[in-house]
Amino acid sequence: MELGQKSPTPPIVEGGREGAPPRRIFLSVTKLSLLGVLLLVAVSWAYLIFGEDRDFPNLFAAAAWHGAGRLVGQLLGLGSATPPAYLQADRWLETGKLAYQTLAMSVLAIGLAGIGVLLTFLPAARNVSHGGLGGAPPRYWKILHHVIRLIYNLTRAVPELVWAMIIVFFLSPGVLPAAAALALHNLGIVGKLSAEVVENLDTAPARALRSAGATNSQMLLYGILPQALPHFLTYLLYRWEVVIRTTVVVGFVAAGGMGREFRLSLSFFHYTDLALLLIWYVILVTAVDLISAWMRRLTLPPPGR
Amino acid sequence: MKLLESRGLLTLALAGAFLWSLTGVDWGSPLIHTGGGAAARTFFLALFPPDLSPDFLGVALAATWPTLAYAVAGMTVAVLIGIPLGILASGTVVSSPALRLPAALVSRFSLGGLRAIHELVWAVLFVAAFGLSPLAAVLALGLPYGGILGRIYAELLHDVPPEPLRALRTAGASPMRQFLYGRVPLALPDMISYTFYRFECAIRSAAIMSFVGIQGLGYQIQLSLHDLLFRQVWTLLLFMLLLVVLVDQWSSLVRRKLAA
Repeated sequence: MELGQKSPTPPIVEGGREGAPPRRIFLSVTKLSLLGVLLLVAVSWAYLIFGEDRDFPNLFAAAAWHGAGRLVGQLLGLGSATPPAYLQADRWLETGKLAYQTLAMSVLAIGLAGIGVLLTFLPAARNVSHGGLGGAPPRYWKILHHVIRLIYNLTRAVPELVWAMIIVFFLSPGVLPAAAALALHNLGIVGKLSAEVVENLDTAPARALRSAGATNSQMLLYGILPQALPHFLTYLLYRWEVVIRTTVVVGFVAAGGMGREFRLSLSFFHYTDLALLLIWYVILVTAVDLISAWMRRLTLPPPGR
Repeated sequence: MKLLESRGLLTLALAGAFLWSLTGVDWGSPLIHTGGGAAARTFFLALFPPDLSPDFLGVALAATWPTLAYAVAGMTVAVLIGIPLGILASGTVVSSPALRLPAALVSRFSLGGLRAIHELVWAVLFVAAFGLSPLAAVLALGLPYGGILGRIYAELLHDVPPEPLRALRTAGASPMRQFLYGRVPLALPDMISYTFYRFECAIRSAAIMSFVGIQGLGYQIQLSLHDLLFRQVWTLLLFMLLLVVLVDQWSSLVRRKLAA
């Protein structure tokens, strides 16, 4: 239709009234999603409360809180003959060593994940592997793109603890299998995020380099990496905060760091040891959060610069 | 220039940290089990093909439902914790200056405490306290996720563009009205898409609740691993993949709609 020309027939206004939005035959995605969410919530809670002869404890009954109160008492070591572990200096030292090991484990895990991502995230970005930046990337990069994306999706979908259960079949229990399990899961997460960063980058520098005659690798090295790396580091540091929280859990099965001791204390009912380990856990988590926040400020320029 | 220097320093620090972390591994003892290599080969070869017999597919499908149900129930708790605490922590609703800082501090501190502890550690503690019940797993999922959601909600509500708010303020809107008509509509799309992303994480977390004895995909994986039925393990891993990819697709669909 030419500009300014009046449409031959008046626009059909659905819903009768003029100005009212046209009625849609299908529900919109947002409405359907809202409906789906509500349905899922209702069915899930119904299943958990009523399904398969559950005994869903009544939170308003005194009995439910009795157990909780007893646990807190045991963690504090009330009414026990021996002094609680958190008042003994040598116990602090022993568990401190485990905390040190756990910290090393988290750094190793995030380091391995980082190396893995650095090696794979460029072909994982569609614009790099499919020639969206101009020029012709090697043809096998297209296949590589899909293989790496599949690996990212699989490693991301499977939780760390499950990877750890599988890896202890091959590697001797200790720090390494735990770190490997954490690294595998985070490879998928950081890899996906980093590839998406490259896909959403400003491509002008890369195109300029290309038109100035840069080779494929030169373009990636000078046009893409300088923009993408700060984001990659930021994601890595964010994930480090998550990894330190998960090290204990992975240690449950891979027997590295504090996790093993945590599990043993629990099975032997050494509750004050458990309390001490929880204290170290919170110290580690807080320290890593602070270090990560400080390092993130170094990687990215402050906003408004 | 300052930035460049600090980046060089950072690279050095990161490389150093990684080298230090290698000392945490006990390199003296054998790293691989005797026969570990063969076990690894068996495990990976079991992927071709995974166990796709109708019987086992039924088992896997039946195990997928509790995992999804726990994830959904946990997320409900998380959202119910995250919204009020997040609003308080954003420091945008409380109008009296004397109350604003204490309210923000208390809510921020409790959000930090909730999120400091991993969901499975919460689960272990709750099972010790309440006994093994669905409630223990739902709370274990909901508390740390509530802490994370609250923190992000607070940031999103706090960082909305100031112009619409200024317009509302000059028009004489009360702080509550400014919040309802200025901040909420601006922050809501991001809040929803972050909640979806966390739902994807909650599915994984629900699966590992098997560790304290909760049914689901994780539980089946444990059973199959114990019986060395690696082909079944792969089937279950692929079911996890499918579930996560489905939620991912749903969330990107909603995200696109909200952005438009």
